[in-house]
Amino acid sequence: MSTAQIRFATLWRREVNRFMKIKKQTLGAPLLEAFLYISVFGAALGSRVGELHGFDYILFVIPGLIMMSFSTNSFANNSSSILQQKFQGAIQDQLSSPASPLELLLAFSLGGFTRGLIVASLTFVASALLAGLPVDNVLVLIPSLFLVGFFFAQLGVTIGVRAEQFDDVAFAQTFVLQPLIFLGGVFYSAALLPQPFETLTRFNPLFYMINLVRYGFIGYSEVSVALSLLALTAATGALFAFNLRLFSRGYRLRA
Amino acid sequence: MEKLEKRYPTGVEALRGVSLQIEPGELFGLLGPNGAGKSTLIHCTTGLAQPTGGSIHVFGHDAIGDYGPARQAVGLAPQEPNLDWFLTVEESLDYHAGYFGMPKRERAERTAELLETFSLTEKADERTRTLSGGMKRRLILARAMMHRPRLLILDEPTAGVDVELRLELWHYVQRINAEGTTILLTTHYLEEAEQLCDRIAFINHGEIVGEGTSAELSARYGVDNLEDAYLTLVGRKELSRSHVPVEPETVQ
Repeated sequence: MSTAQIRFATLWRREVNRFMKIKKQTLGAPLLEAFLYISVFGAALGSRVGELHGFDYILFVIPGLIMMSFSTNSFANNSSSILQQKFQGAIQDQLSSPASPLELLLAFSLGGFTRGLIVASLTFVASALLAGLPVDNVLVLIPSLFLVGFFFAQLGVTIGVRAEQFDDVAFAQTFVLQPLIFLGGVFYSAALLPQPFETLTRFNPLFYMINLVRYGFIGYSEVSVALSLLALTAATGALFAFNLRLFSRGYRLRA
Repeated sequence: MEKLEKRYPTGVEALRGVSLQIEPGELFGLLGPNGAGKSTLIHCTTGLAQPTGGSIHVFGHDAIGDYGPARQAVGLAPQEPNLDWFLTVEESLDYHAGYFGMPKRERAERTAELLETFSLTEKADERTRTLSGGMKRRLILARAMMHRPRLLILDEPTAGVDVELRLELWHYVQRINAEGTTILLTTHYLEEAEQLCDRIAFINHGEIVGEGTSAELSARYGVDNLEDAYLTLVGRKELSRSHVPVEPETVQ
């Protein structure tokens, strides 16, 4: 491995090592949460709801849950990890190394992405075994999940860098991210909503992400898949460029 | 460094045109009161602070424009222990060397060597936050040495450490300096600077106000020792211990 590769691998390894050392909280809790959602909405409520757009309710819900696992874990990991390291001052060790702003940003992003990927993959395996979740369009599913994970990994970095206290991270997660996910149609179809809520849902970016992932799994989407993919790619690219600027300027990282 | 300036967004001018030349192989001391700009100067050298004017070169590499090789050449043992709570002692050393691109086998050898040198071998698997203050100091110094820097920056390395560790650190610093590592040391202990450093600079209010050997600085201020030179510099000559008048009535 070249010097740069060793450097990047170590930066990434540090992020993975952190969440693996507290895996009850970082992997166990989100897996239990996904399992509880599937139990409640699939087994308990699902039989009453019946079918949605021709699909079992549980199959309609699980893609959204997988997307939710990926996004919240990518986000939570990076925002917490960066803020913790800023608090401890430990981030100075990475910042005073020869690592470039791009390397630092990518390694921090990849840490959360990895955690999101692990939780989402395990949720998928359990869903495929227990509920027979299909994969209808893998060529849409993989890029969609990849983009969703990377987008939220970036968002976690943005919040982690900007945050000055843990309250800032909790605020973003509880008051912004969670409502957007819940109101983006994880548990229901927007078509069932009365106006103006159906139209309002279309202003929620999470709505498009959920639909993309749902299309990948069960082949059903309430929006244009191509347009959604394009918009998500553009949004992820823009956020990445914004973060790279934060790292290059050393915003709230270097004095 | 040439006319180095650092003005914080708050308007505080921490460095006001600092020019300083540290020769390769030198053990250089930087002295000054709290808030004089010592740590800012160090942070500008390592990339933790961004200068607002002037330039710094580390062994010929521009610390801003060509930061990769410049930072590769520097090892920093900061004033405040900034250890990663999630890592063990061994991991702290291993990861640090990884950030500086050292291959795995070499990292393992260097980690074992430095754990031994700093009497940390028994603590290798303990998390850093469980260490005592003295152990944290040792680890920070070992970490700074991991990637074999040509310039080692020690920011108040002996603040709050016991006598044995202080002497141990002094011996170590002198040894690696003799082996060719350039050292920049900041300290509040003037006898430390006097004993260890080839040359010393005084910094106050973000400016270098005196530079030379201990003897040269004393001569410049017309005093007997470095402490008096320092007190003259900070305007507190009345605290000098050289001319304390002995009042007869207090001697019984």
